[in-house]
Amino acid sequence: MKFISSDAIPELLEALSASSVVWAPRELTGSGGTVMFERWRTGDPIDLEHFSSLSAKDVVLPRTEKLFGYTYAFGGGLGGAFGNGAPAGEQLVIEPAEPAPPAVLFGARACDAKALDVLDALFNNPEGEAYNDPQYQSRRKSLTVITLACTTCDEACFCSSFGNGTSEKAGSDIIVYPVEGGLLAEAVSSRGEALLAEPIFEESEQAPPPLAETARIEGLERLEEKLPRLFDDMDFWQEISERCTSCGFCTYGCPTCYCFNIHDEMRSDREGERQRSWDACMFALYTQETSGHNPRPTLAHRYRNRINHKFSYYPENQGKILCTGCGRCIRGCPAGLDIRDVLRAALEEAPREP
Amino acid sequence: MSELVSDIQKILGETGLVLGWAATGAGGVAAPERFHTAEEAEAAIFDSTCVHNLAVHLPRLKARAVGIVAKACDARSIVELIAEHEIDRELVKVIAVTCPEMLDVKTIWRRHGYGAVIEDDGGELRVNGELVDRAAYTQAKCLGCEERPSASISASVRLQLSEDFQIMNVEERRTFWREQFSRCIRCHACREACPMCYCRDVCIMQTSDPHWTGGGINAGEAEMMQMIRVNHLAGRCTACGECERACPVGIPLMLLMEEQNRAIYEMFDYRAGVDPEAKPPLLTFDIKGDGWGEE
Amino acid sequence: MSTSIPQAGIKASEPLRPEPATVLEVIAETANIKTFRIAFDDPALAESFSFLPGQIGQLSILGAGESTFAISSAPSQKGRFDFSVMKTGVVTSAIHELSAGDRIAVRAPMGCAFPTDDWKGKNVVLVGGGIGMAPLRSLLFYLLDHRDDYGELTLVYGARTPEDLCFASDRRDWEGRADLDFAATIDTACTGWDGCVGLVPSVVEEKAPSPENAVAVTCGPPIMIRYALQSLDKMGFREERVYTTLERRMKCGIGLCGRCNLGPKYVCTDGPVFSLAELRELPDEL
Repeated sequence: MKFISSDAIPELLEALSASSVVWAPRELTGSGGTVMFERWRTGDPIDLEHFSSLSAKDVVLPRTEKLFGYTYAFGGGLGGAFGNGAPAGEQLVIEPAEPAPPAVLFGARACDAKALDVLDALFNNPEGEAYNDPQYQSRRKSLTVITLACTTCDEACFCSSFGNGTSEKAGSDIIVYPVEGGLLAEAVSSRGEALLAEPIFEESEQAPPPLAETARIEGLERLEEKLPRLFDDMDFWQEISERCTSCGFCTYGCPTCYCFNIHDEMRSDREGERQRSWDACMFALYTQETSGHNPRPTLAHRYRNRINHKFSYYPENQGKILCTGCGRCIRGCPAGLDIRDVLRAALEEAPREP
Repeated sequence: MSELVSDIQKILGETGLVLGWAATGAGGVAAPERFHTAEEAEAAIFDSTCVHNLAVHLPRLKARAVGIVAKACDARSIVELIAEHEIDRELVKVIAVTCPEMLDVKTIWRRHGYGAVIEDDGGELRVNGELVDRAAYTQAKCLGCEERPSASISASVRLQLSEDFQIMNVEERRTFWREQFSRCIRCHACREACPMCYCRDVCIMQTSDPHWTGGGINAGEAEMMQMIRVNHLAGRCTACGECERACPVGIPLMLLMEEQNRAIYEMFDYRAGVDPEAKPPLLTFDIKGDGWGEE
Repeated sequence: MSTSIPQAGIKASEPLRPEPATVLEVIAETANIKTFRIAFDDPALAESFSFLPGQIGQLSILGAGESTFAISSAPSQKGRFDFSVMKTGVVTSAIHELSAGDRIAVRAPMGCAFPTDDWKGKNVVLVGGGIGMAPLRSLLFYLLDHRDDYGELTLVYGARTPEDLCFASDRRDWEGRADLDFAATIDTACTGWDGCVGLVPSVVEEKAPSPENAVAVTCGPPIMIRYALQSLDKMGFREERVYTTLERRMKCGIGLCGRCNLGPKYVCTDGPVFSLAELRELPDEL
């Protein structure tokens, strides 16, 4: 084990900032106690006490990112309904986005780090095997994850339902444990080891503190088989989703919800960029077709997709449950909906005869 | 059996559905609940954690008879929905409850941990057994409530913010909002929690045609989005504060609404949600002359 | 049905970035459908580009957005490809403004193709309606290019009125062919039309191609597909021998963005071609 004193943490973040973007949890001013992962700049306070309202997924899946820029070059006249179809002879130039700089995620929890491991299954495939996401990959490959072990938890936490709970190491490079006067640090990857070799970390014989034990729901892996059998039971989906008001917080706060929108933003009628932004399956417009037809026309349909995607489709396709039990969707739901009630109900529900 | 439960059971006989609360949320706080039977209704409660404005569900249920438990500010939303002919007066049965100062449960939990046990006897407020400052955890809308003058008003951090905002000049306000909106994630919780935002999937904050806002999640788009929303609620906002309560990143949206509500009151002598027969000022055309200001 | 892997035209290194291309020709098919003949600007890419019938692609008008369409031309046609586009929304309206020489951006091909190799030696019945003829046109070209590999070919293609039928010059060729049993039909009789009259499914039933050693493929408006499937079922076509191609709202086209799934399957990568037997296994969320 290594040790770093609380006083030395800003110094560490400062050193890391020289070559990387550093993300750390911070309470935002005038926000009623909202803690978010923000880009750390010299002098910024960090909050290692409270749970962040949103996950740290921005580090690999930014809220909005540029996919590429485009320019219609040479020539004068405008073509197309929006003036974008370039007239004959004009060049269309498509410029890739610049690669993101290396990043360090400091103070994520085990549930945040594990989420990266879960997302890797879809976004970070070996070359040639499936479609890959180069933006995700370049961010992920140059990311160092320093995870803050949870010595306390709250009533919304249920990471123990997903294997190792608070002692989960997947997705982390270094685990830090809060102790008197600072943090104990343990490397769990070679990248972590290299960082801990820096002189700012002292050798320590101290034992790490006991970790929190969070609530556990047994048998969530059974939902992969069970949910498809509940699919057509609309009364069930109606009932469990009736509190919901159809906002997108549960997906946007979630460390594993990754669905996105692709949209064009014009700087002028000749140039602009294509961007990718977070999108949410809880929005009606998400699957709305131009004809007006919507395959998921009601809230219950959308909620059904969200639960199925996390606990049945993703496990079937990627071998991992798309949830790490971080509890953010529970803490932040404006309507007081608790996904655990839904999961328990689904586990207990006997499929009705059609 | 409480009076509330028997009231709900009575209304159930007429409607078959009543929107209320039960103590099914974490730590024993209230969560919205739909009651269909007299037996289900026995779980109904009303206390200072019944923060949600259940009127948000009425436009979605407009085809059917429904009973609803409502606080004074929730009732204003119902009145405004009736005034706008969004819901049918005959189909909605309101069970009015006298509200205490409602608690800002989200902030309590942010400070004390989610699910921390809240005990409120109307006087002292305890969280996990520890006595806490009530004013710090009272909903801002209650502190400024016209129906029910508050005792806690002087100590409120949120009202201090409101006062600070009043004396800002335009440039300072701009900077203030830029910073606030920089954390907006466009989850639309503000819109979905608002009883008056019933445009649903044709809301122009999101549609591609017309394309009023871009698709990006950044301070500029968030600002544009909120300007649209605030303007669309001019003379319609009943100040229930749900947008601000629902915001997962704590943007003080009611500062904008309060400012606008004040302007509407000064200009039109109108408060939304007071008179079901009223014609909302910005939904009314009064054509004089040729419309170009010429005689 | 098999999950697609990166192919020419979609760079594995940057699958969401389209390639600049040029519209060579615009053919007005109906009042609201145009076919765009397109070639990639990069000569090497134009040369290497290939696809199979049933595959889809994404067309971009940068600034307006990107939409998904079936490739409607012959896979054997090298150097260029067709998309037939119905004007319905923002992107398709912008595409409809294009003329020959204009630039467009393309990601293609994507998705799986019709399993034409499995059909060798079999009779093939194609049932198309309206713009749904687009993928069937590509398939028919493929089958005719490999005519000896297949048995009898039947095509019933219908639209509401003669003016709503696409691919006029192709239809003239198809009508003249002895090795294709082709009927174009319109919903109700009108002057100047001496062809077949009646809804597509009933015309298929009248033609009564044998289900023996045969596969059927249907694509068109949802209501037509529903009745066509009923007719095919009545005629004895087994579910695993009946195919269709699905449309869903798509963004990424590579199975990441999350919106086109039918249960665990993604229409963009696992589809768009599905057999009826495969669809029966999936949740009904069309």
